[in-house]
Formats: sequence, C-alpha cells, structure tokens
Amino acid sequence: MKKFISLTKLLFVQQYRVKPTESKKRRGGTIATYIILAVCFAPMLVMIAIAMFGLGKLSQGLEEGGAGVCAMLIFMSQGAVLLFGIPTLISNVFTVKDADKLLFLPIRSSTVFTAKLTVAYLNEVITTAVMLVFMLLPFGIGYSAPVGYYLLLLLGLFLIPLLPMLIGSIIAIPLSALITKVGKNGVVKTILQTVMFFLIMAVYLFVMYELGFMDGSVEEDSTDIAQILLDKLQSVSVMVKYVHSNYTFANAMLATTFTVFIVNLLIAIAENVLLLGLVIAMALPFYHWMLTKSVEGGGSRRRKTAKSNLQVKNQGVVKELIFTDLKRITRESQIGFQSILSLIMLPVMVVIFYLAFGMSAGEEGKLIDVLKQFELYQIIAPLIFVTYMSMLGITSNIFGLYPISRENKSIYLVKSLPVSFNKYLLSKVILATAVMLISDFLTCLLIVILFGVKWYYGLAMLCVMAMLSFGGMCITTLVDLKSPKLGWTNFNQSLKNAKNSWIGLLIGLVTSLIVGIVGGLFVILWYFTKSGWYVLLIMWLAIIGVCVAFAFVCYKIMTKNAQKYFEAIEP
Amino acid sequence: MIRLTNVSKTYAKSTSKAVDDLTLEIKDGEIFGFLGPNGAGKSTTIKMITGILSPDSGTIEVDGINLAENALRAKSLIGFVPDNHETYETLKGIEYLNFIGTMYSVETSLLKQRISEYAEMFSLTDALPNMISSYSHGMKQKLMVIAALIHEPKVWILDEPLTGLDPQSAFQLKQLMRKHADNGNTVFFSSHVIDVVEKVCDRIGIINRGRLVTVDTLDNIRKDDKVSLESLFLTITSDGSDAAK
Repeated sequence: MKKFISLTKLLFVQQYRVKPTESKKRRGGTIATYIILAVCFAPMLVMIAIAMFGLGKLSQGLEEGGAGVCAMLIFMSQGAVLLFGIPTLISNVFTVKDADKLLFLPIRSSTVFTAKLTVAYLNEVITTAVMLVFMLLPFGIGYSAPVGYYLLLLLGLFLIPLLPMLIGSIIAIPLSALITKVGKNGVVKTILQTVMFFLIMAVYLFVMYELGFMDGSVEEDSTDIAQILLDKLQSVSVMVKYVHSNYTFANAMLATTFTVFIVNLLIAIAENVLLLGLVIAMALPFYHWMLTKSVEGGGSRRRKTAKSNLQVKNQGVVKELIFTDLKRITRESQIGFQSILSLIMLPVMVVIFYLAFGMSAGEEGKLIDVLKQFELYQIIAPLIFVTYMSMLGITSNIFGLYPISRENKSIYLVKSLPVSFNKYLLSKVILATAVMLISDFLTCLLIVILFGVKWYYGLAMLCVMAMLSFGGMCITTLVDLKSPKLGWTNFNQSLKNAKNSWIGLLIGLVTSLIVGIVGGLFVILWYFTKSGWYVLLIMWLAIIGVCVAFAFVCYKIMTKNAQKYFEAIEP
Repeated sequence: MIRLTNVSKTYAKSTSKAVDDLTLEIKDGEIFGFLGPNGAGKSTTIKMITGILSPDSGTIEVDGINLAENALRAKSLIGFVPDNHETYETLKGIEYLNFIGTMYSVETSLLKQRISEYAEMFSLTDALPNMISSYSHGMKQKLMVIAALIHEPKVWILDEPLTGLDPQSAFQLKQLMRKHADNGNTVFFSSHVIDVVEKVCDRIGIINRGRLVTVDTLDNIRKDDKVSLESLFLTITSDGSDAAK
C-alpha cells in the first residue's frame, strides 16, 4: 500500500508540476493570471449556474419528479469528463512509455497499473467537481432538493467518473492497440488520434440528439415556452433511464423517503462498483500486453537499408527550420494531435453551429432561414462570428502558443547553432501564421457557404481574424520565450500548467471585446440614423484598422524583447 | 584556438558560482582534456564556449573572434558533440544531418560526400534512414559526432564523447581527434575517463568547484614517475580531506 501511495503521488505530481522551483515573482504572475481569468469567466459560469437553477425550478413541475433531469445532467457531465479525460487515460494508462523506469523496481506491475489508473481517475474527479459545482449544485437549489442531495453530491464526485472511465477504456484500448500496430509512424498515429477524437465527438452528439437534447423540433401548436421545455424534459427523463447507474443515483439524491433513498443508493453503488470492476477487468490485461510489447518490441524491426533513401540537400536556413519543425510536430503524436486539432477546430465549430441553427422553426422552415430574412442578419452575423472566432483562434493555435516549449531540451542545440535568432523567430512566425491562415480561410469560407454571409463580409472577417491571430501569436510566442516549459516527458502534461494558453485566452477575450464594441457602436449608429452602406464600410475599415494596429504593436513588442528572452533560456 | 579570460557564471537559481574567474587558452593543433568531478563546472564551461549559456563576466574568443560580439561567426567555427543527446528524436538520421548541414551552410555536394564518408567510417549508413528515436545510445553518439564534423570545424568540442561507443568506433574517434588537431585545428574535450585523457591529450586542465586548479602538459606530468594523472586528479579534487596517496 505504501508503494502504491508513493507511486500514485509521484505520477500525480509529475503530471502537474514541470518546474518545481518556480520563483516567487513568477508564481505571483501565474496566480494573477488565474484570478483575471476567473473574473473573465465568472459571468459565463454564473449564467450556466442560473440556467441550471431555472431548470431545477422547472423540474418541480414534472409529473415523475426531477430524477430524470438530474440523471440527464449527470450524463451530460460524464460527456465532458469523457472528452477531457480520454487523452489523460491514454497517456497515463494505455501508453507505456516509462517501463524502463519502473520495471526494475521491486513493485508489482499490477501496483503500477493501479497507480496509473488512480491518477487518470483523479483527473476525471477534478473535471467532475467543476461540473457538479456549476450544474448539479444550482439544479438542486432550484429544485429545493433534500439535504441528502447535497450529501450525495460528495459521493457523486467519486461515482460519476466511473462510467466515463469505462467508456474511455472501451475507446482507448482498441485505439492504443492500433497505434501500437502502426509502429513508429508518428503521422499515422496523429491522424488516427484526430479521427478518433472526432468520432467520439460525433457519437456523443448523436447520443444527445437521440436523447432529444438537440433535435430542436417543437410542437407546432405549442406557444408556452415553459410547457415546451417541460414536455422536452419529460421525454428526456424517459430516455435517460437506460443509463441505469445514473438514474438510480439521481433517484437516491432526490429521494424523499428513507427506503427509496437507501435502496437506490445501494443499487447505484453496486452498479458503479460493477463499472469499476469492468474497467479493471478490461484494462489490466491490456496494460500487461502493452508492457510486454514495449519491452520486447525493440526498435529494429523496421530497419531500412536502401542507400537510395539518403537524400542530401541544403535548402536554405529558414526553409529547413520550418520543415524540420513541421516534421517534428507531425511525427510526435501528442503535439501533432493538438496541432491538427487546433487547425480544424474553428471550421468544425462553424459546422456544429450550422447543425444547431439548422433546427426546425415550425412552418417557417429552418431557424437559419428565418434569421436570414431579417435586415440586420448580414450586418450582425459576421460581427458575431468574427468576435467569437477571434477569441477561439488565438487560444487554439498550438503552433503559435508553444513554439519554444515544443522544442523541449533540443532548444539548447538550436542555441549552439550559427543561426541568427531573427531567422529562427521568422521560421516560427511563418509556420504559425501559415497554419492560422489556412484555418481562418476555411472558417470564413464555411461561414459564407453555410450561413449565406456575403462574400465581402467573409473577406473582411478573414482580414480581422488573420490580424488578431497574428498579434495574439506574437504575444504568446513572447510569453513562451520568457518562460518556456522545457524538460517535459509528456507534452500534454506540460500543457496543463503552462501559462501560454491562459494568456492566449485572455488576449482572445480582450480582442473579441474590442471588435465587439467597435462593431456594436457602428451598428447602433447605422440602425438608428438609418445611414447608408458607407457607415458599414467605415465600420469594417475601422475594425480592420484596429486589428492591424493591434498586430503591429504586438509584433513590435515581440521583436523588442524576444532575443533577450531567448538568450536567457538556460539549462 | 579558444581563449577564455576571467570567465564567471552563476546560475539564476544558485548562489554559488558554477564557473569562477576561469582563464584558459587552448592553442591550434592541440587536444585539450578538461577534467573535473561531477558538478565542477565542465559542462557549464562548454555550454558557454558553444554559446548555449552567456557568461556573467569575462570574454570568450574562438579563433580570435569574440563570442559576445560576433556569436554567429564564432559558432560557425565550432563543432559540438553534447553529452546528453538531446536531439530531434522524431527526425530520421539523414534528416538531422541535412538540418545541421544547412544550418552550417555546407554545400550540398560537400555535405553528401562528408555524410557518406563519416557514416561509412562509423558504420551508420544503414541506420540513417531510420528515426533517431530508434537508435541505441552509441548510435546517437556516432550521429552527434558526424553532425559535429560535417562542416569541418576549426574548433571541435566534445563533452564525454566516448561514452557508449563500441571499441572500433572509440578507436576511430580518437584517431579523428588526433588527425583534426594535426591539421592545425583545436580539440577540446571533457571526460571522466582518465586513461583516455592520458592517452589522447596533449594538455589537460582540471577544474574543481568552478575554479581551474591546474593546467599542464602530459609530458610535464609524466616527468615525475611517482605521480600518475589519476593520483594528481584525486589529490587536487579531494579538498585535502581524503587525498589519494
């Protein structure tokens, strides 16, 4: 037991701490960043909590009680836990990279497995805690749930992640086996991971759709919104009974008699223990199989011997730096996965929005078609899109967020090369910008095609997004130069306590706010003064002007300090 | 030629000096062995010469070029074999050599010729199309040696170069070091293996706790038959408490 606790502690700490000796000043900066972010996100989280509170109130009117809705919320939480937890599950449990560090120790492999599984589980508990606080807790208050509900929330913290762990294992085991089979081909691994991720998302959306959360259809004669929602909740309550462990637990949470409470609680615990048993029964033999593979697989089975493969060429410093960087990104499956995801995330979001807006609006046809009929649609829709996408764009671009951290310790090799820092920086900027441009172009193209936004607005959006992305990338590059996360053994783990993504998020929030305010003011002016098209032209010119200025200032800030920070990077 | 004048370095997270007022000159045509116990300042010195670290004070010159004033030109004269093999694991061997060749502006035909020559010499030709991550420790070391030589550096710096090499490759490397020095270049290498230093070097320097405690030619050391390099090393680095007899 002592060995298990010690190993679990080590694995957990290793995951969340890259640099154990962070200076007080830097730690203060990190805390300040988190506080600012919390302040920025607080309104959104409060809105979710208020919505859940309202849902609780509404559920009081359900004939069958709120257990079905509560089970639905648990299931939704589990979806988020699954989505965020599966990369950790794969990297912790089903990818054996540390066999050489652990096998020679006097610890049983089952203890190592249990410790790894516990770390993955604890990660999922953390996500669950967030979901409980902002979904289930306000729901309970709105529903005027009994005291037992709140007590069982604490138990739920540990029971709710078990189903996502089981589903995660069912997905991760064949995926890891497939990745092992494809050998050392990092590109194939990256593609496989990305495809798998979107498959999971698609299945999740399909399940939600089937359960009735997203189909959006309403009874044509229904006019009372509350009644429509009640009907919807009623139908969902029936469907979620099939996820029995959630339903019995929800029944126990909202039970008003002791008998109902204890019977449902015991069944829920038994079912969840069964889920845990299934996870272990599936994962342990697979872990042993992976362990054997990692030790006995060796690295020599795919030796190439053809000398004709040796293509030697000198193709110019910047080009060589860019292509070497690109090869390394695509071949390192974790970095590659994150990067490809960042490239396609915005276009995928547009498609998801389109599906959501494709819902029926009664006799009028699809909601999107109804919206298009409004005079303001062509003016407001591009503004909303550009505001939202510019916020996401900066945050999601891994190429621009971690240009130095992804080098890991080989940054010291770069420092010893006779290459000017400007060329090195240029190679990073070109690569990140090129990737962003592709992503931004696809996004704008999809908005034009799917949402019927005029092409010239699409072009204006592309200019705005490109400039904001470029400016944001300059700042995140600078932040990464100042405090790179080097010395990682697992890229995903290094991202968890990296400041860059939070800074990116902050920049995204600020820039989208600026675009929103500038655009909003002009729209108000245009609407109330009934001005002509030239006001809209000025609006877009003003927005683009602000964004160009932003990009220019950010670029200047980066070039002013970048070299100084680069030189200060020390082993 | 490498010249260090009053070079000092303290790491940001430390209060003691990793290298303290180091003054040293290594001439052309010389193989210089840099000895010292763990944490003595060998790697810090090498990292400063190669431009990875900046010294807090003092100057470093490589072939007469001040590293602080003209870092790129100075670096282009250096070939560096690091001890930790922190390289691009997800590149193929040949891609890595192409990368290094481009960084040092080696012409394609010359690059091809040198890669072929050195890869044959170290029996690495067959492995070059494979990912570096699949290489053994010795193969990575060989790749690092080849990468450090493909631009025919004026100054060759090797940090623990013989670790992990098979006897044939170790022999080849020692021969190459001698040949490189005999051609009028400078070879600077650090090692823990005193026997190797004794066999290969013309001159040695011993560093302890950041300070250079002795620099001498092996001929001078050998004059006294009763004192071996090993006993000298142990005496100097033991702080007098447990000096070797």
